[in-house]
Parts: sequence; C-alpha cells; structure tokens
Amino acid sequence: MAFLLRRVGFYVAAFIVAATFNFLIPRLMPGNPVDIMFAQAGGTLPPEALAALKETFGFIDQPWPAQFVAYLKSVFTWDLGLSVKFHPLTVNEVLLRALPWTLMLVLTSSLIAFAIGSLAGILAAWRRGGRFDSIGAPIALMMQAMPPLVTSLLALFLFAIYWPVFPTGYAYDPEIDPGFTLEFFCSIFKHAFLPIVTMALAQVGGYLITMRNSMINLLGEDYIVLGTAKGLSDRRLRMAYAARNALLPTVTSFAMTLGASFGGALVTEVVFNYPGLGYTLFQGITARDYPLIQGQLLIMTLAMLTANFIADVLYVALDPRLRKG
Amino acid sequence: MRGLLKTLFANRKAAIGAAIVAFFILVALAAPLVAPFDINQRVASPHEAPSAEHVMGATRMGRDVLSQTIHGTQTSLIVGFAAGLLVTVLGTAIGVTAGYFGGKVDEVLNLFTNISLVIPNLPLMLVLAAFIGQTGPFVIALIIGLTSWGWGARVTRAQALSLRQRDYILAAEMLGEPAWRVISFELLPNLISIIGFNFIGSILYAVITEATMEFLGLGDPMVVSWGTMLYHAQSTSALQVGAWWEMAAPCLALVIFGSGLSLINFAVDEIANPRLRTLRVPAKVLAALTNRSSNQGGRA
Repeated sequence: MAFLLRRVGFYVAAFIVAATFNFLIPRLMPGNPVDIMFAQAGGTLPPEALAALKETFGFIDQPWPAQFVAYLKSVFTWDLGLSVKFHPLTVNEVLLRALPWTLMLVLTSSLIAFAIGSLAGILAAWRRGGRFDSIGAPIALMMQAMPPLVTSLLALFLFAIYWPVFPTGYAYDPEIDPGFTLEFFCSIFKHAFLPIVTMALAQVGGYLITMRNSMINLLGEDYIVLGTAKGLSDRRLRMAYAARNALLPTVTSFAMTLGASFGGALVTEVVFNYPGLGYTLFQGITARDYPLIQGQLLIMTLAMLTANFIADVLYVALDPRLRKG
Repeated sequence: MRGLLKTLFANRKAAIGAAIVAFFILVALAAPLVAPFDINQRVASPHEAPSAEHVMGATRMGRDVLSQTIHGTQTSLIVGFAAGLLVTVLGTAIGVTAGYFGGKVDEVLNLFTNISLVIPNLPLMLVLAAFIGQTGPFVIALIIGLTSWGWGARVTRAQALSLRQRDYILAAEMLGEPAWRVISFELLPNLISIIGFNFIGSILYAVITEATMEFLGLGDPMVVSWGTMLYHAQSTSALQVGAWWEMAAPCLALVIFGSGLSLINFAVDEIANPRLRTLRVPAKVLAALTNRSSNQGGRA
C-alpha cells in the first residue's frame, strides 16, 4: 500500500510539471504571451469568451506566482478553456469526444502486440539459436526501426487505396446510425482494423525482444535447473517458472510503450483520417488552436500516468516482495 | 577502443549496419553532386510516374523526387546526429552524476528523470513546436534533444550505480583522485557500450521524430527533408491520386537508414551482453550456458 501511495504522490508531481510546461512555454516566448496564444482566437471568439479564456490560462493582472496558482486551479478543476477551432465547444468537450476512439485504438493494439510479442519472445528464448529465434529476432528488430508513419502510409495505400478493402477515413460509416446494432459494430471494426494492425505491428517487435532477453537471463538460473531435475514438463517450466518471472520487465515496458503508442496513434489517426485525439490535434495545429494543443498534453499525460499506475498495481500483484513493504 | 571497434566489425550485423549508415552519410555529403536535378526547378510534368529519367517520379509541383530525397538526406541526418548527440550528452551527464554522487543529488536527478519519462514526449514536443512557430531543422533538433534524454539517463544511472561499488573505483578514490578524474577515466570508459547504444538509438529516434513532426505540419515547409516531403505529398493527396512514388522515396530512405542503425545497436547489445547472442554460438557453449539446450535440440 505504501508503495502505491508513494507512486500516486509521484504522479501528482509529474502532472504538475506537465501543467508547468503549459504555463511557462507561452510566457517564455519572445513577445506578448497573450497575443501569441490568442492571435487566432480574436476572429472566432466573442470578447467576453476571450476574457474568460485569458483568466483560465492565468493571464490575470498579477505577478507570475499568482498567475501560476490561478492556472493550476483551472487545471485541477479540469477547466481547459475554449477551443478556438471548434468554437463554441470547450477543449474538454472536443477532447472527450475524440478520446474514446484513441483509447480503443491504443488499448486494443497494445494488448494484441503484448500478447503476440511476449509469446513469440518466450518461444524465441526457449529455443535460442533455433530457427524461429534466428529469423524472428532480427525481424522484430527491423520492425522496431519501422516508423509508425511509414507503416501507416503503406497500409493505407495497399489496403485502402490500391486494393480498396478498407475505408480511408472516419471511425464508422456516416450512413449508419450509431446504436447497438451488429451493422454499426461491424462498421467500427472495419474502420479501426488497419489503424489497429499498423499500431500493433509497431509495438510487437519491442515486446518480443524485451521478453526474449528477459527470459534468456532467467533460463540460466538455478531454480530452472532444479525444475528440470525434478522432471517438470517443458510447458510448465516454460510458462509457470521462467515466463512468470520474465514478465516483470515486460510490464514496465508495457507502461512505457503505451506512452509511445499514444504518440504513434497521433500519426496513424492523421494518416487514416480517424477522428481520435491525434486527428483532432492535427486540426488544432493547423488552426494554431493553442488551448486545444495545451489541453492534449494534459490529457495525454493523464492517460500515461493512469497506464503507469495500472502497471504499478500489476507489479504488486506479480511481485510478492512489494506486498510486504 | 581499437579492440572494441575490431569486435564490432567482426560482427556481421554491425558491418552491414555500418555500411548502410556510411552510405547515407556519403549521400548527404555529396548531395549537390549526385542529385540528378535541381530541386528548386520544375523538371517534369506534375505527378509524373517513375521512368528512366526520373527514377522515383515527380511531385505535383514537377520536382524530381529522387533529387529531393537526396537533398533531404542532408537535413534528416544533421537533425538526427545533432539531436542524438544532445540526447546522449544530457542523458549521460545526468545519469553519471546521479549514479556517482548518490544521496540527495541522486534523489533529485532521479526524480526529474522519472518525471521526464512519464510525460509523453511527442505531445510535449508538439506544444513546444507549435508555440515556437516555423520550426527549422535546428530548432527541431533542439526540441528533441531537450525532451528525450530521460531513457538514457535512467539506463546510464543504473549502470553507474553498480560500477560505483567496484573495487577499482573505490581504490581510485582512496588514492585521492578528484571526482572529475574518477568519472572521466574510471567510470566513463566502462560505460562506453551503454553510451554508444544510447547514441545510436537516439539518432534513430530523432530522425523518425523529425519526420513525424514535419509530417504533422510543425516544420518549416520551405526546407527539403524527408518529413517535409511527406507533408507536401500528404497535403496534395499524392496517395489518393495514385502518385505513391512521392511518398515511397522518403519512406524507403527512413526505413533503410533506420534498419542500418538498429543493426548496429543489435550488435552492440550482443557484444555487451553475450548471453543474448543468436548466431555463431557453438551448440556446446549454449548447452553449458543453459543446461537445457542439448536435450532440447535432441528432441527437435
């Protein structure tokens, strides 16, 4: 428990640091920060909304420390201001509308990659130097070097344009009414298929290598030798003895990779015109919608911290040594 | 150092990887000489398909794609090496300081490292780039360098912590060597494989990240680089109109250059950690190491 509480304290600190970046960056740029931040806002927002927006971001007639407190107050009450591009929606509304799609892509692709990559890593380590290992490990390595940008573009061109099996945009067919119908779910599946596959491909190699290396380091341990001597079946030794312990570093890398895969989702969504956070952010960038760009940093950080916390809980569950303290 | 390079080149993966990277460096250096066309001139019809004259086709503006890719190599490599160097220097400095001095210094530095690791990189870089505005290649390299040192710092710190307890370090301290000397002559040489791994990994990361940021519209569109080429191709819907070649060339360059770097890194990892080796390990050695492979092999 003490361990988890300490972690939560750390995550709050990390979140404040992310908010501090948002606070400082516009103020450190040459020129007047208010002018920079709301240059595009004048055209779309009415004057009273603009005044409220300035207050949300701490642009009040007081010294920096007071401004900072004001900004933190907005952040912790989750008031992220108004979107300039999607006026009259708030940043909160814009991001929450997009978040479920991104979460679906990131979680599904990460779980698929984790399952396939870890299993393949176990097999590669078990027969190290065997055929599967000597082909699988270098391929995994090459796949890690493939930027998500390139795999997405390739998948889009091959399977949506050249050979149009999959759609080139949207999260579901706009002609279908959303609802709990089989047709609707099929449409979601069809639209998410290519993004999920390309995102999973980008991660699977990393899990394979992590699991393989972690397994190989364990296979030389005495308790494995003892297990063999006891006459345990290969399967039991492999999964319940070696893989069980080799999983720990993989869980850490799962949390880290999840962050990278949010980054990867940004690109994949832009390529596939998929209405998640990344695509929304892309529209925000093009319109220089600063409140939206800052809001996405906070929401991505929050997602990343949540993923790390879940990994911590898993860690406690997997590693009995942490439960005592 | 010489022995290290020799081991590195005896490894086939490292040799192939180094050859690929060397090829790209040569192309970057000789770009104006080897590029067949002027990149600022309209030399073909819009979206002209690949032919003997224009090997990689032409863009919508009638620019030769191959020439652009060759010139883009310069930008992408400079950003990659500059950002990679910055990431490595920052990561090594922070990691070594934390690992060597320990105590309060370590606590503070480690806290910062861990925080930088949980704040997602790409979104933070996008905020920075968006506020800076038209970000040229050097600004992008700076942004990548300042935000991405966390991983290297963590790995270096862990290794420095364990080396710190070795007898030869303690002996050097007993002799009254100043801290800077112990660090630079006793500690750093033994961290060389981690630092090298970090440097090459960071170059790869920087090249991909630069291309990604430019693709998302946060670069300077007037600069020719792999990322801006993809950005222009995307904004002129090159794929949708069937002009795949406009995207193929920069994508291929990214993938081949990236593969070269990861081959080197894979080899560095194998040399530093011999247990991970896949090939060229005699079956007997393997069997002795794991106690199991021999009967495995017998059954397979």
